[in-house]
Amino acid sequence: MIERWNRDQVLALAPDASSQKAAGTISSPGKWSGAGVTADAVWGECAGSGSKPYRACVDLSEPAYRCSCPSRKFPCKHALGLLLLWSANGVPAAEEVADWVGEWLDGRRDRAARAAEAGATRAARSGEAGPADSRRAALREQRVAAGLSDLERWLADQIRQGLAGSRRHDQWDDLVKRLIDAQAPAVAGSLSRLNTVLDGDDWPARLLSEYALLHLLCVAHRSLSAPADGGVDGGVGDGSGNVPEVAPAGLLERVRDRVGFSVTKEEVLAGEPVRDLWDVLGRRDEEHDRLIARRVWLRGRRTGRAALVLSFAPVGQALDASLVTGTTVDADLAFYPGSTPLRAVVAARYDTAHDAAPSGPPPGLTIERALDEVAEALAGDPWLDSWPLVLEGVTPAGSGSRLLAGPSGGLPLQESVGTPWRLVATSGGHPLTVAAEWTPRGLRPLTTWDEEGRVITL
Amino acid sequence: MNASADWEELVSTALVGTDRRPLPGEGASEVELLGHAAVHTLRMRAGRRPIAPGEPPALAAPEERPEVSRAAGDRLARVLGGEQPRLLTEWLETAAGRGYRLSPHLLPELLDHAARDRSIRPYLGVLAGNRGRWLAGLNPAWGFLLEEVTGVAATGSEPTSQVWEFGTSGDRRVHLGELRTADPTRARELLAATWEKEGPDDRAAFLEALSAGLSPEDEPFLESALDDRRREVRHQAADLLTRLPGSRLALRMAERVARYVTVAGGEIHVDPPVACDSTMERDGIRAKAPRGTGERGWWLQQAVARTPLEVWPRLLGRPPRELVRMKIVDWSREVMAGWVRAAVLQGDPEWALELFAWDPIADLLAALPRDRQESVAADFVRRHGLDGQLIMVLGGAAAPWGPALATAVLQKIIEVSGTQPWNLGELTKLAGERIDPALHDMAGRLSLEPSIQEVAALLRFRDDMLKELTQ
Repeated sequence: MIERWNRDQVLALAPDASSQKAAGTISSPGKWSGAGVTADAVWGECAGSGSKPYRACVDLSEPAYRCSCPSRKFPCKHALGLLLLWSANGVPAAEEVADWVGEWLDGRRDRAARAAEAGATRAARSGEAGPADSRRAALREQRVAAGLSDLERWLADQIRQGLAGSRRHDQWDDLVKRLIDAQAPAVAGSLSRLNTVLDGDDWPARLLSEYALLHLLCVAHRSLSAPADGGVDGGVGDGSGNVPEVAPAGLLERVRDRVGFSVTKEEVLAGEPVRDLWDVLGRRDEEHDRLIARRVWLRGRRTGRAALVLSFAPVGQALDASLVTGTTVDADLAFYPGSTPLRAVVAARYDTAHDAAPSGPPPGLTIERALDEVAEALAGDPWLDSWPLVLEGVTPAGSGSRLLAGPSGGLPLQESVGTPWRLVATSGGHPLTVAAEWTPRGLRPLTTWDEEGRVITL
Repeated sequence: MNASADWEELVSTALVGTDRRPLPGEGASEVELLGHAAVHTLRMRAGRRPIAPGEPPALAAPEERPEVSRAAGDRLARVLGGEQPRLLTEWLETAAGRGYRLSPHLLPELLDHAARDRSIRPYLGVLAGNRGRWLAGLNPAWGFLLEEVTGVAATGSEPTSQVWEFGTSGDRRVHLGELRTADPTRARELLAATWEKEGPDDRAAFLEALSAGLSPEDEPFLESALDDRRREVRHQAADLLTRLPGSRLALRMAERVARYVTVAGGEIHVDPPVACDSTMERDGIRAKAPRGTGERGWWLQQAVARTPLEVWPRLLGRPPRELVRMKIVDWSREVMAGWVRAAVLQGDPEWALELFAWDPIADLLAALPRDRQESVAADFVRRHGLDGQLIMVLGGAAAPWGPALATAVLQKIIEVSGTQPWNLGELTKLAGERIDPALHDMAGRLSLEPSIQEVAALLRFRDDMLKELTQ
């Protein structure tokens, strides 16, 4: 039996605030009839404005949602309201699922099996590329290389002329367009996000860092894509030369990912999966250009590996809500290739008996160990700007509780976090386990666990 | 290049531009600078060490009270999140009354709430526990918590003088109230001993505690409080003295009204005062009339309100029942309003009942004993249409409403839903919030009318909520 999620966990699944509110209004037992819960599904019927009640059902093992209402939000308010009711212990246990629920669950499992088969076939086929494909690919390589050398020259120009005059928010627009035309969307994206850098007092230093890392990316792409050329001017390492001769395994893939060559999900799934009990540490949604990116951070209990499951949806539409903060999932993750693999997809999920809200926090690291880990990750991916950590025995400390402190010192929180009052209140001055996102600008707390082991989202 | 000074150097060179300030050495300066900057950036990111956190935070004191159950805490989070927001006060009042404390992670949100809404602060004194007071010490916006009742006075474990000497003003109020119930004389003496040192707000609040166990023995102290610097204190003292029929203030008031009001030929004749002198002001009559009110009528109304009600039958030779029905020549409105105010202030059920028939207002209903409240309110609901006044009157009926009033209100809802359903909102909400939640089954079975089902659902929500707070 899956342990009931708490209210925060349920609300975290909502696509937006209005859904949260709407769910709240229909989460009372009086709104539901024929509700029931088994080991891995919860269902019920909710009277709407029409004559027939809406039938909502949640497959808790994924979780996956189904409702007969016409809402395009996902999960809809009925599924959420039902989960809230369940969370408040308002759904009676049942031996068997209702008939209409059983049909849906069976249908889902059939489709999942067929999809897995089809995926395997596609993956097998994708090895064979036709001549047209390879011409297209070669053309793209040329365009990207030209775009990046354009960027490299532009960066050098900036430094030659001086950054002092460049504090304009639209100064990258042209260049971003050229990079998109050059089919290097990811690097165009990093460039277009630079305007946030200009807001702080230390903008010259931050801008220089960002330009330097972009420069590094151009150099790395140039050297790694054409290793035969050898010594090209400018680069990293000793300040004048090339990419080190022994580049970390997967660095090319990492560089290509940062430039914007995408890897298909099938290719990712074809890789070696990592099975573990994955603690879902927390998540963060970010909006760019009417698209919401959802990052869900995970750490493996046995392997200690960090993972990031990324998903996207247009604003107002459903985001993937299958990973619930504070739960532990037994799953295969397939990692995207590259040095410092972090991004992953869930390849398969196993026995949901482990999908409980675990009693107590996941194992954590000391601050020193965590910093070592970040350093190692940066060695494989110098462009890394986020990494999930579980810190053990840390206390909110310092002026305004803006540090997470361990026995030998503290790490600052990111400025935008403010005083993390919920964390401070939970701690009461005592050390706790805190899941946090490392960023170059400081930690961003995600989740903590109180003295009774309850998960508390921050 | 190695130290952070070099980084500063790189940044300032980049700001100026390598055209004007080339890096020493050969090669393209700008490319070299970018290379160095990349190395520095990564060194700074990867080489970060922990920094000295300064003084470790003080530890919050261990808690003395049990934490609310997980289910109860979850429900509070639901209410704070916008589900049934009007039940927040009931949740807090119940939990505080049962001596619980909140789960720590709920505190910041609730303290923020209380920073905006004073009315819930008294409950937080108990509910916030030691963790809450610890947080209030860290965030000045929550400092109000440190003045609220912490509940130490109520536990009885502390030596009483300690609370009175060192407690928060809330704790001292509770302590005084409890002592007053147990030993009225000692409570008064305790208050008198520190009276001069108390702040004006505290003086008014402490004086209120004397309303329990009020007796003629309190008169000299209260009489001296009529000379207090603070108006709230003077008024509180005058209100209390009005409830002591033999007090000097009562006698002075009786003398006054005897000059204004007489009976002749089965009618009441009124001749209000022409001036407000300093002795009237000392007895709690405010000289300055509100805008739009005549001065004479204003003084008259206040004098009537501060006259012990038992004066009237003696003075005018009729029982209350007849008095409120007699013709009053001129000034009728002022005399009746004065009686209404007196009945409320003095909590006189007989007068309140008679006056309610003339002017059904919530305060008069609240002055009735509990069982009378219910039957009077139920009767009113049956006879009165659904309007603002009905809602106001019901506001005076203490919760939880028993079956008689509940049935009357639910019947009214059914009746109105056929004719003007758009008007039902407030009555439906009030019914859900005030009816005894144990009656939710009864309500649900009464009718399938959506408004009734809504009331039933709200009652069930409250029933669950209260059960969670008993576990």
